[in-house]
Amino acid sequence: MKKHLKLILLIVSVTFLQTTTIYANEDVSVSKISYDEIYDPIEPINRAVLNFNFFIDDIAIRPIVKTYKFIAPEPVEKGVSNFFSNLKEPIRTISFIFQGEFYKSFNSIGRFTINSLTSLGTFDLASRVGMEKNETDFGIALAKGGVSSGPYIVIPIIGPSNLRDFSGDVVEYFVDPISNNVPNREYVAVGSGLNERVEIDEQLDKVREASSDRYEMIKSIYYQNRNAQLEEEYIQNLPVPKIYIE
Amino acid sequence: MRRFLFILSIIFSFSTIEASEVSEWFEKESNQFLEIINNNEGTESESYEKYKYFVNKNFAVKSIAYGLIGESIINESSENELSLYLNVFTDYLITTIYKLANSSNSSSITLRDVDIKDDIYIIKSEISDKKTSANLYWKVIDTGSSFKIIDVIVENTSYFVTKKSEFNKILRKNRGSLKALIKEIQKI
Repeated sequence: MKKHLKLILLIVSVTFLQTTTIYANEDVSVSKISYDEIYDPIEPINRAVLNFNFFIDDIAIRPIVKTYKFIAPEPVEKGVSNFFSNLKEPIRTISFIFQGEFYKSFNSIGRFTINSLTSLGTFDLASRVGMEKNETDFGIALAKGGVSSGPYIVIPIIGPSNLRDFSGDVVEYFVDPISNNVPNREYVAVGSGLNERVEIDEQLDKVREASSDRYEMIKSIYYQNRNAQLEEEYIQNLPVPKIYIE
Repeated sequence: MRRFLFILSIIFSFSTIEASEVSEWFEKESNQFLEIINNNEGTESESYEKYKYFVNKNFAVKSIAYGLIGESIINESSENELSLYLNVFTDYLITTIYKLANSSNSSSITLRDVDIKDDIYIIKSEISDKKTSANLYWKVIDTGSSFKIIDVIVENTSYFVTKKSEFNKILRKNRGSLKALIKEIQKI
């Protein structure tokens, strides 16, 4: 565990060290977040990893996902998705505490209790009684604490991330009360990962078809989605084109 | 104080009228769009022509196209190059919408809310089929004679921001050559 802790501290400290240099490159004129250029110093490596990920996806993951989507009826797919989402409620609870969002933290643990007791998490009864799901993670907690995103990275098999979010994922892996207390946590991690892949299957198909540069497109979509979780008026603050007479 | 409230009420009533105008326009055009998506009669080229008409009528194509390359490229390029780029981009936009629409069976688009910021209307809607639904935001400007779309945001992904990063990459890779960008767009 000590070894793991050292690794976590190293990653987090590198993220913090990046903060000042990265802000220097960011355009803060439109919103707090830059859309012009994403800090991507290891682009050639990232591109190679993305190609590798697509290769693995094509030969192994995509066929499994397509078969699963073909076989599993809609309610089963939804139930599995709810199950894995419910397993993340305890770590969301902790993450909200770090962000000082105590109401949301209470909501998360309430959702976990209700959904686990009524259906092992396969049915989201809590939403029906007004306890809506709030997405968050440790990457968001770090961002709200002022940590900059750091360089963009593509993780083998897992996909797009950045140093801050990846650090958050690593911390989560070790402090998550669920995955730390179940036997064969690897299976849970694989199941959760596959479920996330199922959820983005259609979007990924569209990226394959509609993009001139899928690397840039995926990077941009990743940052836009993360920014949406960070900025209150995200849609309003997105940059728009200057108006020309048509 | 009364005068202030009077002025405030006039401003408020004007913005309400404009919001209802844009809502009306949106309801009409989104229904037309769904009709095109759901109508499977006719040949592929006839269907494409319908999308072409829809895009030219409702999208601020020039603003989007020019916004994607930025002012420095616009200033450096010749009239001919810009005109060719605009034509190629228009085709590209129509084809993108045509392909995306053909791969989905959308049954409804429901207007949720209209907001306004810096003279840009932000229309929140929901697009849904039997299985799923997604939030769809439209950024719209009033040109005086009509409303025009300048960006479409599906959930949190903006068409303008995503394409800008792609086009920027191509331009940077080719030292700001608009010709190279045109070639890349034509390849898709």
